[in-house]
Amino acid sequence: MKTIRSPPGIQYPITVVELAKKTGDDIARSSPLFNYYYTSIVTEHDKYGDSTEVEKRFPARFDASADGVITKWYIAKGSVIQRTGVAIVDIDEPCEHEVQFGSLCAVCGKDMTEVDYLTEERNVDRATINMTHDNVSLLVSQREAVRAEEDAKKRLLTARKLSLIVDLDQTVIHTTCERTIAEWQADPDNPNYDAVKDVQSFQLADDNVANVAANWYYVKMRPGLKGFFDRISDMYEMHVYTMATRAYAQAVAKIIDPERKYFGDRILSRDENYTDKLKSLHRLFPTSTEMAVIIDDRADVWHYSDHLVRVPVFNFFPGAGDINASFLPKQQELVMSSVKKSASDPAPKQKAAAEGEPATLISIAGKPIVPVPTESANGELSDLEQQLISMNSADSPEALEEQVKEQEKVIVTQQTERPLLQKQLLLDKEDEVVEDANTIVETHNGDTHSSEHHKHRSLLHDDDIGLQIMEKNLRRVHRAFYDEYQRKKALPSGGRIAELKGEKSPKKRAMEDQVPDVGRLMPRIKRDVLGGTTVVFSGIIPLGMDVENSDFALWIKSFGAQVGLTIGKYTTHVIANPDRKTTKVKRAARYPHIKIVNVDWMFQCCTRWEHVDETPYLIELDPADRVASPFEDLDDDEIGITGDEDFEGIAEIPVGLDMSDVKWDDMGDELDNFLDESDDTEGGDNVSEGDDSDSSITSTSRLQRRKKRTMERVTSLTNVLSADKSSGLPSPETTGPEEGQCEEEPKDTDPAGLAADDSDADDGLEAEMMAAMNSDNDA
Amino acid sequence: MFFLKELEKTIQLHPSYFGPLIRSHIHRELLTKEEGSSTGKFTIVCVLDSFDISDGQVIPGSGAAEYTVHYKAIVWRPYKGEVMDGVVTSVMRAGFFVDCGSLQAFVGRAMIPSDINFDGNATPPQWTDNGDQIVEKGTNIRIKIKGLRSEVDKMYAIGTMKEDYLGPLQN
Repeated sequence: MKTIRSPPGIQYPITVVELAKKTGDDIARSSPLFNYYYTSIVTEHDKYGDSTEVEKRFPARFDASADGVITKWYIAKGSVIQRTGVAIVDIDEPCEHEVQFGSLCAVCGKDMTEVDYLTEERNVDRATINMTHDNVSLLVSQREAVRAEEDAKKRLLTARKLSLIVDLDQTVIHTTCERTIAEWQADPDNPNYDAVKDVQSFQLADDNVANVAANWYYVKMRPGLKGFFDRISDMYEMHVYTMATRAYAQAVAKIIDPERKYFGDRILSRDENYTDKLKSLHRLFPTSTEMAVIIDDRADVWHYSDHLVRVPVFNFFPGAGDINASFLPKQQELVMSSVKKSASDPAPKQKAAAEGEPATLISIAGKPIVPVPTESANGELSDLEQQLISMNSADSPEALEEQVKEQEKVIVTQQTERPLLQKQLLLDKEDEVVEDANTIVETHNGDTHSSEHHKHRSLLHDDDIGLQIMEKNLRRVHRAFYDEYQRKKALPSGGRIAELKGEKSPKKRAMEDQVPDVGRLMPRIKRDVLGGTTVVFSGIIPLGMDVENSDFALWIKSFGAQVGLTIGKYTTHVIANPDRKTTKVKRAARYPHIKIVNVDWMFQCCTRWEHVDETPYLIELDPADRVASPFEDLDDDEIGITGDEDFEGIAEIPVGLDMSDVKWDDMGDELDNFLDESDDTEGGDNVSEGDDSDSSITSTSRLQRRKKRTMERVTSLTNVLSADKSSGLPSPETTGPEEGQCEEEPKDTDPAGLAADDSDADDGLEAEMMAAMNSDNDA
Repeated sequence: MFFLKELEKTIQLHPSYFGPLIRSHIHRELLTKEEGSSTGKFTIVCVLDSFDISDGQVIPGSGAAEYTVHYKAIVWRPYKGEVMDGVVTSVMRAGFFVDCGSLQAFVGRAMIPSDINFDGNATPPQWTDNGDQIVEKGTNIRIKIKGLRSEVDKMYAIGTMKEDYLGPLQN
């Protein structure tokens, strides 16, 4: 049905003289619809040269701008049309061109791009929505899209399924281009053989991604992927939505879904995505997104959609990053160096212990080197990723070519520099050092647990369980959705339906009533997780970044937590960097109800969707900080503010300089020390006045305590040896009067009692080392 | 429909190719560039062997030489109403896509007989009458062109299988 209205561009008013067609007549485009006349003032000249202005009538013809059958006339003979936009006639068109392919109507085969004198609205504009995965030429109209989605929805509801949009890179797979993998695969003796033996590889025939000849891609599936798909496909209809090229996406789909039973042809790649920076639910579900759930490792590309189940990043090849990341917006930088490692790690303590082992062993060997290679092996932001990030950071006109070039560069780097191989070599070299050291250690104290070190350690760890967590969350969403659906269905909705019967599509309305919206359900589930908590970030989000809108803050906010900027009385958690002691941490340390945790805690909460117990994630604090000392009160509130702020700023400079993080921290500690000392001199007079606090230690001079701490700091590296010897017995240092207050210290993980030491990093390492050693002994 | 057509092509040759084998270089260039290309009106299927190369002319400033080649080629041009065979490449609820050589055609729901219905739950998804007619990815199919539109280097077609003897081909 199309209503023809009086067009602009003719001289109004017009008077209808005669209708050319009756109701029910067929009419062809550009054939006359009615005759009319209009009046106009014209100047007439007579033969004497005089001119007169007379009003004259001009007859004219009105042509139909559409084919079809006339269903209703709004005008009759003699009607006067005063202006544009008045309805003239309804024409029932034989084809409304609702599906168009390459600007051809798929129903009648007509060319939609034709424009003539009657065209009011171009036919191509009738169908503008693309809802096909693999084609950009096929467009449908809004109405057709709604119809298609209603159909799909009905189908899903009968099958009790939801739609699941799956991201590829770093969510279900991890890809690298380094041919080291092939070498490792071919060599069963390689320490990484077990991890890479199921890595599959492919070449793209028409590889315009990298102009390097015959580029091989090595794809590692996330552990348990097959089972995950098997189980999830009963509850979800799955779609692939990736920012990689079509060829790549299809090659990967062939690997993860060889029988094409999970995804079929539902693969959407960059080639079919209109924008190159964002993913949009509306690209696949243009009218209703109620039943769509997304899994992705990046939330920013989805604009923090309510439908998103954010999954821990799958980083199997350390440093490889996401080879298609150059097509995504720049990732927010993280100050935390251990972020990535812990994201995919549900039991950070154990794993950290395992991974921390080499680092501690190095210090046993009397080499206080920054354990750079091991840290990168742990899968944190390596330099390649940094490179990726910095390349992305150019927000100048991000031409596709530029991005392609960036990607090429990444691939070429991976091929030529082979970072994985280098890392493994470093690791091996370290092993040798360690083995040498081990013999020394053995002679020293007759330790027996050296045998396991003779085998070379592997760089790759095949122990990701992100999928299990993901599956649990997806099950939960599915259950919540269908519980809600059943509940709504059970409600007597007859009256409502009857009320809506008059509407265009009462059926649709009724269904909308019944179908819950995932976009509302999921936030509801998530909000309960951390509801009532107020978190403050400290040393996590780079200075100068808008905290409220940072990735972490948005993420944790979606779980119901409030994000505060300063420590207040509502603050319940401080998420801090364990390597650094900021003002906020110190301040929070004075309130026993504030839990000071590391970022892992947040990751655990946000990936498992439950308020996990904070105990394993608590940051071990210097008992001195725990004490609500009056001087520190003063430090914070009056004199110390500027100094400490400065310190914080300086300490937060090493954004991304993870290579030297530890060094920086040392410097930071020293600076802290210095600043504290300067505070001492300033606040020295206040010592006596400040005694009115509730602190239990008032007797020992503050200066003495400082001195003691400084001493301990100096000897922190040699302390490791004593940790080894003391073998789990608490040292006298911890049995001070402070112990009562440091209730958050997990005593079992801190046998050496080195918590008194200021450098938390070392503490952690020691604790981890001890745990590892104990477990080794057990085994 | 196939035609024998005389065509002309200007080929630029880098100076490094200048030498005794210059004719074969030009020939190779012609074959790689032209065969299989689509002008928007027709597709060049096969360049015939006999062709005529003009004298080369060095382009000032670059050192490359320009040759005008006259050649004959078998070209294919689809017409509205033409019946042709193709392979189904993608099946969806709105219809399915058919590749007929260089031409991509779409057969919409309205162009499919009403007894053939979409089955989205099948793997792979298919259009079927629950009998012997199954249209799924890879099916050989005969369609008739209902509409045709050409852009600079691409052609779009709408196909139908709603007439006699159209539809999936039996092996």
